[in-house]
Amino acid sequence: MSTLCDRLLTKFPGRNDQIERLLSLLGEPEDPAPPCVFVYGPSATGKTSVIRDLFSLYDTSGSHYAYINSVECFTTRLLFERTLNAWAGHVPCAENRFSNYAKCDNLVDFVNTVRDLLVSSGKQHEAHYMVIDQAERLRDRGPMLLTSLLRLPELTGGANISVVLISNVVWDKFRPRHGGAADPLSIFFPYYTKQQILQVLAKDCPSDEPQPFFLTFVDAVYEVFHRNCVDLNELRHLVAMLYPKFVQPVFEHQATRNEFARLFKLCQPYFAAASERLYLREISTSEWQKYSAVASAKNNPEDVATSIYHMAENSDGMDLPHYTKFLLISAYLASYNPSRLDVQYFARGKDPSQKRKRKGGGASAAASEDALGGKDRQQLLGPKSFAIERMLAIFYSVIAEPVDSTVDVQTQIASLITLRLLTKTSAGDRLDGIKCKCNVSLDAIRAISRSVRFEIDRFLYNFT
Amino acid sequence: MPSQMSISGADACRARRAVLGRLYGRAPLPELVGLDSPLDLVFSLLSRTVTSAEGNTGLLIGPRGCGKSAVVQRALGMLEAKHGHTAPASASTPKYHVVRLSGFVHTTDRIALRDIARQLLIEQDLENILIGSFADAFTYILNLLRSSGEEAVPPVLFILEEFDLLAQHPKQSLLYTLFDIAQSQQTPIAVLGITARIDVMDLLEKRVKSRFSHRQIYVQCPQKKHDFVEIARLALHVDSASDGVAEGFAQQFNTQVDEVLAAESVARYMEQIFDFGKDARQLLNLFVAAACQLSAQVQFLQLACVEASIARDVASAKMQVLSSVSLLELSLIISMKSLVQGGSSKYNFEMVYNEYKTFMSRHLLVASAGGAMKVYKKPVALKAFETLVELEIVRPVATSVAADGGGSYGRNDLLAGSAQAARAPKEYRMVQLMIEPGQVVELVLDRVDVPAVIRRWAQQ
Repeated sequence: MSTLCDRLLTKFPGRNDQIERLLSLLGEPEDPAPPCVFVYGPSATGKTSVIRDLFSLYDTSGSHYAYINSVECFTTRLLFERTLNAWAGHVPCAENRFSNYAKCDNLVDFVNTVRDLLVSSGKQHEAHYMVIDQAERLRDRGPMLLTSLLRLPELTGGANISVVLISNVVWDKFRPRHGGAADPLSIFFPYYTKQQILQVLAKDCPSDEPQPFFLTFVDAVYEVFHRNCVDLNELRHLVAMLYPKFVQPVFEHQATRNEFARLFKLCQPYFAAASERLYLREISTSEWQKYSAVASAKNNPEDVATSIYHMAENSDGMDLPHYTKFLLISAYLASYNPSRLDVQYFARGKDPSQKRKRKGGGASAAASEDALGGKDRQQLLGPKSFAIERMLAIFYSVIAEPVDSTVDVQTQIASLITLRLLTKTSAGDRLDGIKCKCNVSLDAIRAISRSVRFEIDRFLYNFT
Repeated sequence: MPSQMSISGADACRARRAVLGRLYGRAPLPELVGLDSPLDLVFSLLSRTVTSAEGNTGLLIGPRGCGKSAVVQRALGMLEAKHGHTAPASASTPKYHVVRLSGFVHTTDRIALRDIARQLLIEQDLENILIGSFADAFTYILNLLRSSGEEAVPPVLFILEEFDLLAQHPKQSLLYTLFDIAQSQQTPIAVLGITARIDVMDLLEKRVKSRFSHRQIYVQCPQKKHDFVEIARLALHVDSASDGVAEGFAQQFNTQVDEVLAAESVARYMEQIFDFGKDARQLLNLFVAAACQLSAQVQFLQLACVEASIARDVASAKMQVLSSVSLLELSLIISMKSLVQGGSSKYNFEMVYNEYKTFMSRHLLVASAGGAMKVYKKPVALKAFETLVELEIVRPVATSVAADGGGSYGRNDLLAGSAQAARAPKEYRMVQLMIEPGQVVELVLDRVDVPAVIRRWAQQ
């Protein structure tokens, strides 16, 4: 038992308290098992890996615990059959024609099969565990399932069964409305502290690199990123991506390992790029490796900037035809501008800014904005739906030259809807009076406007 | 000395097993506290069916965790002691049968019927029986019980847990049939419903209600604090005879338990549980961690362990999760709090980000803590926001409130929500913060790494 504990503790630094509590709950195989253990904590805190490793080491035969991911087992039937297979040591394969241990549609069948299984194998005194990962999904599976699982020992007539739930949601959100289940024993996995993150990442240190040097780097990465991200997985990813760039100058004899500040400065542009593009997965790992390898600080410092610019540049994925871009722009305007101002903005031959000034409507607009603190601006509320005719009117107004009659505008609208750039809000079978919403963000529409040299900001009402 | 050690080591393991069994509710407590009168009533109801072949019906009503099932369990145990072995598998004909149904698992009458047949050990082709009406099939099953050469059917005791859920089956044919047979005296059966709902009678149809004897037995939570503590004492004490530990060890162990229970911190917390909920299960959960620690090395209940689990119990889980979120996530929470205080009941990511950006641009000059106050771009903030949604600290608001009835929880991502809301991009889906403004302030004050500006912002 103690060797098991030691192995787990060295494998998972910073989780000592949780591992010790779990092990003391498990105890000996013959001990009564707790009816339910609830393991919770934010993502990337080691819940699943600790539990899985712990059970695979604790129960070497593997037939006393069933690990079930409730995303995978999305019906109760799958859940039950998977559990029975694991407890019976039954593996669906070609010999048994991929059949399950037993067919199990509802709880009664499950409870009865479990009872028979445990009695027939003579293991009814040994604790059996059902580990359910992402347990928050169980709540969607009918109101009774969770309660019944919590009461399994009672329902099976005192079988030594235990349910371990893993979730990143607190128990308060699980508690059944009718109160049929007692609160389980809960074990909390908190975020790793800085010290613990360093301990975990020390295991990632490449074998040919000095560990203190690596850890200083990890420390720096943590300091840069911890204000927006304390997720261990994200930090690990960033470290793995940035470290090669960080040590590159050492191998290119630009700096030595002692000149930490200089190395850090050389790596600075990569940090900036990583904090957004890499962190948001706008560029993939392989893309990052490919583009960042192009440049190094040695051959040309400017290349670093250009290569990152290169990474930043390929975001302009929306390569639409010229008129379609205008259609999308007019859809955006129709979604975000109030229709009462259409005449001011889009009446031909008038400059909208002049018109607005002359009208003096600014004062009243400002007053209403103050009253509501500017919080009900359309920009914040999101797109509203508009009639397709209004969008077409705006389209013919904003487009400078007369439209070529061969352009089939309706087809373009249909294709924009297919691309999900527009969402149809009217009923699917209605052919006239179609209403749509524009699904594009302000940044994207600005980029599109720039590409067709259209000053969209002059036409937007109450935007910041 | 070494042999002495090993003996008490084994004793400690046995004590651990016995105490944990009782704490988990897997083994009954040696005696029931303050439940004597319901126990007598239940026992007399059941035993009259067995001895004088009466048809009896009754309802056992009481709040969650007050010991209803324990009462029934004990009454059945007493019955068994009085009338001998009940297992129908034994060669001699059994005196009576017990059938247990639970509203949780027996979700339809058909499932219930099949399980009744299974529990009565009828090995017939059930599919044929189930074709007819429920009552026909049921009497058929009961008649099969009649062993050869005998006229009377042996008494059957039906224990119906979560009676209120069984009453929600369409047409209530299970309950109707059971009550009808109990009333008509053909077959001696006792029907004992167990429920936590005090208004359970209103759920019954008129024809079902008129066949029910209206015998209601109320079970109450412990009335006195002393009784409540007594439950914990009974669960934790070991007995040399029944738990198989040495006499001397049991005595030592029990004095230690009494000391722990008498300790001021423990006594105060037990009082608190009593004042809030009187739930015995919550009380027993408190001692699990300490009981788990028992081993050959740690032979007695440790006060420190109990105190540690009290501390864990007291801490709010939600606040614990939030206590170490990143600064950006915290800022978003504060933005939402200030939106709430500004009078908005629901808001979307764009509004939250706007609030955050307005604050940051106003205070960026003031704060010169070197990079500490960087304004994050919208996609980065959205990622942080989604982390909060994943933790269900922020929940999407359904535009229609009608979906509140069926106990559905919905998915915990921004894509959940009604069909109308689902058409909007996710930045514009309306959400709500699931913690109180006061808690946000508490959260910020508890942290040391929060810049002074943000701290002041939270307290506004």
